[in-house]
Amino acid sequence: MFRAITRTQWKSSRGLVLLATILAFAIPIASFRTATDVRAQGGLFLGAIASWSVAYSVAAAGIGLSLAMIAWSPDHRGRHVYALTLPVARWRYVLMRLGAGALFIAAPVAALLVSAEVVAHSSSIPIGLQAFPIALTIRFTIAALVAYALFFAITAATARTAGIIITIIAVFCAATYLAAAADVHTTFFERTIEWIFATPGLLSVFTGRWMLIDA
Amino acid sequence: MYQNTDTFPMFERLDPRSPTPLYAQIATRIRVAIAAGELRGGDPLPSVRHLAAKLRINPATVVQAYRALESDSLVATRHGAGTFVAEVGTERRERDRIAEARRLVRELLGEAGRLGISASEVRNAVDHELNGRKSK
Amino acid sequence: MMFVVETHDLGYRAGSDFEIAQLNMHVPAGAVYGFLGPNGAGKTTTIRLLLGLLRPAKGAITVLGQPMPQASVSVLARTGYVPERPHLYPTLTVAEAIDLHAAFHARWDKPWASELVSRFDLPPARRISALSKGETGKLMMLLALAQRPELLVLDEPTDGLDPVVRRDVLEAVLDYVSAHSATVLISSHLVHELERICDWIGVMDQGRMIAELPMQEFKAGIKRIRVTAAPRDAGNAPFTLLARASLNGSGEEWLVRGWEPAMRAFFDTAGASVREVVDLDLEEGFVELLRSFRSPLPRT
Repeated sequence: MFRAITRTQWKSSRGLVLLATILAFAIPIASFRTATDVRAQGGLFLGAIASWSVAYSVAAAGIGLSLAMIAWSPDHRGRHVYALTLPVARWRYVLMRLGAGALFIAAPVAALLVSAEVVAHSSSIPIGLQAFPIALTIRFTIAALVAYALFFAITAATARTAGIIITIIAVFCAATYLAAAADVHTTFFERTIEWIFATPGLLSVFTGRWMLIDA
Repeated sequence: MYQNTDTFPMFERLDPRSPTPLYAQIATRIRVAIAAGELRGGDPLPSVRHLAAKLRINPATVVQAYRALESDSLVATRHGAGTFVAEVGTERRERDRIAEARRLVRELLGEAGRLGISASEVRNAVDHELNGRKSK
Repeated sequence: MMFVVETHDLGYRAGSDFEIAQLNMHVPAGAVYGFLGPNGAGKTTTIRLLLGLLRPAKGAITVLGQPMPQASVSVLARTGYVPERPHLYPTLTVAEAIDLHAAFHARWDKPWASELVSRFDLPPARRISALSKGETGKLMMLLALAQRPELLVLDEPTDGLDPVVRRDVLEAVLDYVSAHSATVLISSHLVHELERICDWIGVMDQGRMIAELPMQEFKAGIKRIRVTAAPRDAGNAPFTLLARASLNGSGEEWLVRGWEPAMRAFFDTAGASVREVVDLDLEEGFVELLRSFRSPLPRT
């Protein structure tokens, strides 16, 4: 059964997985290129690399989110009737879908590892940081899985509930920017975000130190 | 031989809305075919499954029809092999033909009565039609 | 008699009104049970309740001897379902949909599935979203049948399909039923179709089962009787008078239920005479039954 679900989920997700793989491969390379340019101009190489840390965080979250939404899209179209009439317990079915999508994350993760290793070996990085690509990949994997699981749970509900939750998030983000643009002095947004992403906590994987050094 | 064909012209236009139950309509058609010599002793009847599917009727209806024919000694079911036409003697077939003819006439007379056509008018019409056929 | 589907005092509410109330349904094993009723009677809701897609507000449901919705996993393994509206994943091809369905059903009949693919003329590599309405209907039926179910639940399976497809689909259903001792619960508007294939009939109206009996009894049970010099008072008639109308000049036409030939005596003693007794076909019987249920004649 798991194989059958994985095969059908792959059909919906493969385009996205391809994009995610390309993206995951591209970020280290892109960061390397900009860093080399910066060094040529006399700036700090490692500092330039470090400034890309946000990209990894966003990429992991984005990949997790979109894979989760794709996972449930065929069911949403038919209002889950097909899955609910299959002779399998609901929780088992949900777990199989979750597992299938989690498997797909392996592709961009592998691409990231390869790309990061290439970058790490092709530049003069201190010996102590040579293991960095692995650490980066692990963090990326965890972040992607967390985002995936979180949004998977959200979209497992009806499309309506998922839409509501995502709208709330979008409104929150928009409100943050508007407040900043209107020069409204409030620490509400910062405090909320700090609270959500506080350590210890699952979501803390997105913030914090992606790069082992700070510039 | 009906086993291998896909259509059953004999059973076309069965009328589920008629007051005559479907199984009786089917049984009558087979009975008439036997009486007319179209179906001979030893000929296989279509399997219940095949006939029910092709006619799109309940298999129990076909079973009922075959059972009715069997209790009239017109067919015999051989376990595992299907249902076959029994060896029916000429007198029996003639009797069935006569019974069928009478049934047709009964229907005709009933219809005529409803329309107010008299018995002599019917008889004249019958003669007229029969003469017409003879001259063809 | 063993029942494959049984409901006892089933109730379901969506909103403030009880959509289904005190529903008692019994589908005998091996029957082809026609589920009739006007639009909005609650047929689809009842079917969804039977399959565990909805939770009842009250009452009990037993399918294949097991309580629903608690035993839904094992019951659904033995039940084939064709819903009113297509429920398959639109991005899959025909072949992929078949493989997916097969992976979940232990009793899957692979040769029968292949035979149906060619019999139904389904293109294996075409996406479900690109299939015509008829092809989708045939595919859903294929999936339900190749499962080799003990119970087939069909919710308007031929609705909106052209006559050729309808024929193909019904042929396959009856073929299956003859070869395996399965029970079929089929809900349909197409009364004439049901008339051919069903040996049991259940009529539902306004959330209640108003008649449930063998098809023959139902059809034989309602009769149209032409009476001359009809008695004015029919209060003590041995049958149920559903309706009466006068035929200009030639007497009256009575619609009765529960008629038996011996009941002619009722008319004889009243000085009337019975000219004709006609069976109603299923559609007329159904319409009359509904009419009498919704606005019963006052008992004089």
